[in-house]
Amino acid sequence: MKVLVIDDSAVMRRIHRNTLTEHGIPASDIFDASDGEAALKIATEGHIGLFLVDWNMPKLDGFQLVKALRATPHYASTPIIMITSEAAKYNVMEAINAGVTNCVVKPTKGDVLWQKLAKYVDPKTGGGA
Amino acid sequence: MKAKYINPFLAASMNLFKEHLGVDVRSLNPFVRKDPTVLEEVSGIIGLAGETTGAVVLSFSRVTAMNIVSVFAGKTYTALTNEVLDGVGELVNIIAGNAKKDLLDFRISISLPGVIVGSATKIHWPEGVPVITIPFDSNLGSLSVNVSLKEAE
Repeated sequence: MKVLVIDDSAVMRRIHRNTLTEHGIPASDIFDASDGEAALKIATEGHIGLFLVDWNMPKLDGFQLVKALRATPHYASTPIIMITSEAAKYNVMEAINAGVTNCVVKPTKGDVLWQKLAKYVDPKTGGGA
Repeated sequence: MKAKYINPFLAASMNLFKEHLGVDVRSLNPFVRKDPTVLEEVSGIIGLAGETTGAVVLSFSRVTAMNIVSVFAGKTYTALTNEVLDGVGELVNIIAGNAKKDLLDFRISISLPGVIVGSATKIHWPEGVPVITIPFDSNLGSLSVNVSLKEAE
Protein backbone atom coordinates (compact mmCIF):
# COMPACT_ATOMS: atom_id res chain seq x y z
CA MET A 1 0.00 0.00 0.00
CA LYS A 2 1.17 3.47 -0.83
CA VAL A 3 0.72 6.21 1.74
CA LEU A 4 0.47 9.86 0.74
CA VAL A 5 1.39 12.46 3.36
CA ILE A 6 0.11 15.94 2.54
CA ASP A 7 1.28 18.84 4.68
CA ASP A 8 2.70 22.25 3.82
CA SER A 9 5.18 21.88 6.68
CA ALA A 10 8.36 20.01 5.79
CA VAL A 11 8.90 19.27 9.48
CA MET A 12 5.45 17.68 9.80
CA ARG A 13 6.05 15.60 6.68
CA ARG A 14 9.31 14.42 8.24
CA ILE A 15 7.58 13.57 11.55
CA HIS A 16 4.80 11.60 9.83
CA ARG A 17 7.26 9.82 7.56
CA ASN A 18 9.30 8.78 10.63
CA THR A 19 6.18 7.48 12.38
CA LEU A 20 5.24 5.39 9.36
CA THR A 21 8.70 3.90 8.81
CA GLU A 22 9.11 3.18 12.54
CA HIS A 23 5.96 1.05 12.30
CA GLY A 24 7.05 -0.95 9.30
CA ILE A 25 5.86 1.02 6.29
CA PRO A 26 8.68 0.90 3.71
CA ALA A 27 10.08 4.34 2.93
CA SER A 28 9.62 3.60 -0.77
CA ASP A 29 5.84 3.33 -0.21
CA ILE A 30 5.59 6.76 1.37
CA PHE A 31 4.94 9.76 -0.87
CA ASP A 32 4.46 13.33 0.14
CA ALA A 33 3.06 16.59 -1.14
CA SER A 34 3.13 20.12 0.21
CA ASP A 35 -0.33 21.14 -0.96
CA GLY A 36 -3.61 19.70 -2.15
CA GLU A 37 -2.99 20.33 -5.84
CA ALA A 38 0.25 18.35 -5.81
CA ALA A 39 -1.48 15.62 -3.81
CA LEU A 40 -4.25 15.27 -6.37
CA LYS A 41 -1.67 14.90 -9.12
CA ILE A 42 0.12 12.11 -7.26
CA ALA A 43 -3.19 10.44 -6.42
CA THR A 44 -4.23 10.32 -10.07
CA GLU A 45 -0.88 8.81 -11.09
CA GLY A 46 -0.91 5.84 -8.74
CA HIS A 47 -3.09 3.97 -6.33
CA ILE A 48 -2.86 5.43 -2.85
CA GLY A 49 -4.12 3.23 -0.02
CA LEU A 50 -4.00 5.74 2.81
CA PHE A 51 -3.94 9.53 2.97
CA LEU A 52 -2.64 11.66 5.85
CA VAL A 53 -3.94 15.15 5.22
CA ASP A 54 -3.27 18.47 6.90
CA TRP A 55 -6.15 20.96 7.01
CA ASN A 56 -4.54 24.36 6.50
CA MET A 57 -2.54 24.40 3.27
CA PRO A 58 -2.02 26.80 0.38
CA LYS A 59 -3.59 26.35 -3.08
CA LEU A 60 -5.99 23.50 -2.31
CA ASP A 61 -6.55 23.02 1.43
CA GLY A 62 -7.24 19.72 3.16
CA PHE A 63 -10.99 20.24 3.21
CA GLN A 64 -11.10 20.88 -0.56
CA LEU A 65 -8.71 18.01 -1.21
CA VAL A 66 -10.87 15.52 0.67
CA LYS A 67 -13.96 16.58 -1.25
CA ALA A 68 -12.05 16.25 -4.55
CA LEU A 69 -10.79 12.79 -3.63
CA ARG A 70 -14.23 11.60 -2.53
CA ALA A 71 -15.68 12.80 -5.83
CA THR A 72 -13.34 10.35 -7.56
CA PRO A 73 -14.82 6.82 -7.61
CA HIS A 74 -11.35 5.35 -7.17
CA TYR A 75 -10.96 7.06 -3.79
CA ALA A 76 -14.57 6.98 -2.62
CA SER A 77 -13.76 4.74 0.34
CA THR A 78 -9.97 5.01 0.74
CA PRO A 79 -9.00 5.85 4.35
CA ILE A 80 -8.25 9.55 4.76
CA ILE A 81 -6.88 10.71 8.11
CA MET A 82 -7.07 14.43 8.76
CA ILE A 83 -4.28 15.69 11.00
CA THR A 84 -5.06 19.19 12.14
CA SER A 85 -4.40 21.70 14.88
CA GLU A 86 -8.05 22.78 14.60
CA ALA A 87 -9.16 21.29 17.89
CA ALA A 88 -12.75 22.54 18.04
CA LYS A 89 -15.51 19.94 17.78
CA TYR A 90 -17.21 21.72 14.93
CA ASN A 91 -13.97 21.51 12.92
CA VAL A 92 -13.83 17.76 13.48
CA MET A 93 -17.48 17.37 12.47
CA GLU A 94 -16.87 19.48 9.37
CA ALA A 95 -13.98 17.20 8.40
CA ILE A 96 -15.99 14.03 8.97
CA ASN A 97 -18.88 15.44 6.94
CA ALA A 98 -16.47 16.24 4.10
CA GLY A 99 -15.53 12.57 3.94
CA VAL A 100 -12.60 12.24 6.31
CA THR A 101 -12.35 8.74 7.80
CA ASN A 102 -10.77 9.81 11.07
CA CYS A 103 -9.44 12.98 12.60
CA VAL A 104 -6.32 13.49 14.73
CA VAL A 105 -5.69 16.74 16.55
CA LYS A 106 -2.12 18.04 16.71
CA PRO A 107 0.04 17.88 18.69
CA THR A 108 -0.01 14.11 18.71
CA LYS A 109 2.63 11.57 19.62
CA GLY A 110 3.73 9.19 16.88
CA ASP A 111 2.38 6.18 18.79
CA VAL A 112 -1.00 7.83 19.25
CA LEU A 113 -1.16 8.65 15.55
CA TRP A 114 -0.22 5.08 14.70
CA GLN A 115 -3.07 3.73 16.86
CA LYS A 116 -5.44 5.64 14.58
CA LEU A 117 -3.70 4.36 11.42
CA ALA A 118 -2.97 0.75 12.31
CA LYS A 119 -6.42 -0.60 11.52
CA TYR A 120 -6.13 0.67 7.94
CA VAL A 121 -2.82 -1.07 7.38
CA ASP A 122 -2.41 -4.68 6.28
CA PRO A 123 0.48 -6.29 8.22
CA LYS A 124 0.74 -9.10 5.62
CA THR A 125 2.16 -6.68 3.10
CA GLY A 126 4.63 -4.99 5.42
CA GLY A 127 2.35 -2.10 6.14
CA GLY A 128 0.35 -2.17 2.95
CA ALA A 129 -3.37 -2.84 2.72
CA MET B 1 -7.49 43.18 26.36
CA LYS B 2 -9.06 40.64 28.69
CA ALA B 3 -7.32 37.59 30.16
CA LYS B 4 -9.89 35.31 28.55
CA TYR B 5 -8.36 36.13 25.18
CA ILE B 6 -4.84 35.36 26.36
CA ASN B 7 -5.37 32.27 28.52
CA PRO B 8 -6.19 29.93 25.61
CA PHE B 9 -2.81 30.73 24.01
CA LEU B 10 -1.04 30.26 27.31
CA ALA B 11 -2.71 26.89 27.90
CA ALA B 12 -2.03 25.72 24.34
CA SER B 13 1.63 26.77 24.60
CA MET B 14 2.12 24.96 27.90
CA ASN B 15 0.41 21.83 26.55
CA LEU B 16 2.60 21.79 23.45
CA PHE B 17 5.92 22.44 25.15
CA LYS B 18 5.43 20.65 28.45
CA GLU B 19 3.07 17.76 27.74
CA HIS B 20 3.85 17.00 24.12
CA LEU B 21 7.51 17.91 23.73
CA GLY B 22 8.51 17.19 27.32
CA VAL B 23 10.31 20.51 27.65
CA ASP B 24 10.88 21.68 31.21
CA VAL B 25 9.13 25.00 30.73
CA ARG B 26 7.52 27.47 33.10
CA SER B 27 5.69 30.67 32.42
CA LEU B 28 6.86 33.90 33.99
CA ASN B 29 4.83 37.00 34.75
CA PRO B 30 3.11 38.49 31.69
CA PHE B 31 3.85 42.12 30.89
CA VAL B 32 2.86 44.79 28.42
CA ARG B 33 5.58 45.10 25.80
CA LYS B 34 6.67 48.71 25.48
CA ASP B 35 8.18 48.32 22.03
CA PRO B 36 6.44 45.53 20.08
CA THR B 37 8.94 45.85 17.22
CA VAL B 38 11.70 44.46 19.45
CA LEU B 39 11.30 40.71 19.79
CA GLU B 40 13.77 37.84 19.77
CA GLU B 41 15.49 36.71 16.60
CA VAL B 42 12.96 34.20 15.27
CA SER B 43 9.25 34.93 15.37
CA GLY B 44 6.35 32.79 14.21
CA ILE B 45 3.29 34.88 13.44
CA ILE B 46 -0.32 33.94 13.09
CA GLY B 47 -3.05 36.40 12.30
CA LEU B 48 -6.57 36.14 13.61
CA ALA B 49 -9.56 37.74 11.93
CA GLY B 50 -13.26 37.87 12.58
CA GLU B 51 -14.98 39.04 15.70
CA THR B 52 -11.58 39.32 17.30
CA THR B 53 -8.66 40.50 15.22
CA GLY B 54 -4.97 40.63 15.95
CA ALA B 55 -1.86 38.52 16.07
CA VAL B 56 -0.16 35.84 18.11
CA VAL B 57 3.61 35.83 17.83
CA LEU B 58 5.85 33.12 19.24
CA SER B 59 9.34 34.54 19.61
CA PHE B 60 12.56 32.58 20.16
CA SER B 61 16.26 33.23 20.31
CA ARG B 62 18.14 31.53 17.46
CA VAL B 63 19.43 28.78 19.79
CA THR B 64 16.05 28.19 21.41
CA ALA B 65 14.41 27.87 17.99
CA MET B 66 16.94 25.26 16.90
CA ASN B 67 16.67 23.36 20.20
CA ILE B 68 12.88 23.22 20.30
CA VAL B 69 12.44 22.33 16.63
CA SER B 70 15.08 19.61 17.11
CA VAL B 71 12.93 18.06 19.84
CA PHE B 72 9.77 18.55 17.79
CA ALA B 73 11.15 16.99 14.61
CA GLY B 74 13.32 14.31 16.20
CA LYS B 75 16.35 15.59 14.34
CA THR B 76 19.23 17.72 15.59
CA TYR B 77 19.54 21.09 13.87
CA THR B 78 22.77 23.05 14.32
CA ALA B 79 21.92 25.96 12.04
CA LEU B 80 18.91 28.14 11.46
CA THR B 81 17.77 26.32 8.32
CA ASN B 82 14.54 26.75 6.39
CA GLU B 83 13.31 23.57 8.04
CA VAL B 84 13.83 25.10 11.50
CA LEU B 85 11.83 28.15 10.42
CA ASP B 86 9.16 25.85 9.00
CA GLY B 87 9.06 24.07 12.36
CA VAL B 88 8.60 27.35 14.21
CA GLY B 89 5.68 28.15 11.91
CA GLU B 90 4.13 24.77 12.62
CA LEU B 91 4.48 25.22 16.39
CA VAL B 92 2.66 28.53 16.15
CA ASN B 93 0.00 26.94 13.97
CA ILE B 94 -0.61 24.23 16.57
CA ILE B 95 -0.84 26.73 19.42
CA ALA B 96 -3.27 28.97 17.55
CA GLY B 97 -5.38 26.06 16.33
CA ASN B 98 -5.59 24.55 19.80
CA ALA B 99 -6.38 27.92 21.39
CA LYS B 100 -9.15 28.57 18.90
CA LYS B 101 -11.43 25.99 20.47
CA ASP B 102 -11.45 28.09 23.63
CA LEU B 103 -12.29 31.21 21.67
CA LEU B 104 -15.44 29.85 20.07
CA ASP B 105 -17.57 32.66 21.47
CA PHE B 106 -15.63 34.84 19.06
CA ARG B 107 -15.94 33.23 15.65
CA ILE B 108 -12.50 33.81 14.23
CA SER B 109 -10.43 32.52 11.37
CA ILE B 110 -6.69 31.97 11.56
CA SER B 111 -4.17 32.66 8.84
CA LEU B 112 -1.46 30.29 7.70
CA PRO B 113 1.58 30.94 9.90
CA GLY B 114 4.39 33.19 8.79
CA VAL B 115 7.91 33.28 10.17
CA ILE B 116 10.29 36.21 10.26
CA VAL B 117 13.94 36.37 11.23
CA GLY B 118 15.42 39.54 12.67
CA SER B 119 13.51 42.78 13.07
CA ALA B 120 9.87 42.47 14.08
CA THR B 121 8.85 45.75 12.46
CA LYS B 122 6.84 43.92 9.80
CA ILE B 123 4.34 42.56 12.30
CA HIS B 124 0.98 44.26 11.88
CA TRP B 125 -0.23 44.58 15.43
CA PRO B 126 -3.75 45.96 15.80
CA GLU B 127 -3.86 49.65 16.61
CA GLY B 128 -4.93 50.92 19.99
CA VAL B 129 -4.44 47.73 21.99
CA PRO B 130 -1.35 46.63 23.91
CA VAL B 131 0.89 43.70 23.06
CA ILE B 132 0.87 41.31 26.02
CA THR B 133 4.04 39.23 26.36
CA ILE B 134 3.99 35.91 28.21
CA PRO B 135 7.63 34.95 28.76
CA PHE B 136 8.71 31.36 29.25
CA ASP B 137 11.87 29.95 30.72
CA SER B 138 12.93 26.43 29.72
CA ASN B 139 15.80 23.97 29.65
CA LEU B 140 16.08 24.68 25.92
CA GLY B 141 16.26 28.45 26.26
CA SER B 142 13.90 31.36 26.63
CA LEU B 143 10.93 32.20 24.47
CA SER B 144 7.83 34.31 24.62
CA VAL B 145 4.26 34.28 23.39
CA ASN B 146 3.13 37.75 22.38
CA VAL B 147 -0.56 38.44 21.90
CA SER B 148 -2.50 41.47 20.78
CA LEU B 149 -6.20 41.07 20.04
CA LYS B 150 -8.85 43.66 19.37
CA GLU B 151 -12.57 43.07 19.62
CA ALA B 152 -14.54 44.18 16.58
CA GLU B 153 -16.75 47.18 17.26
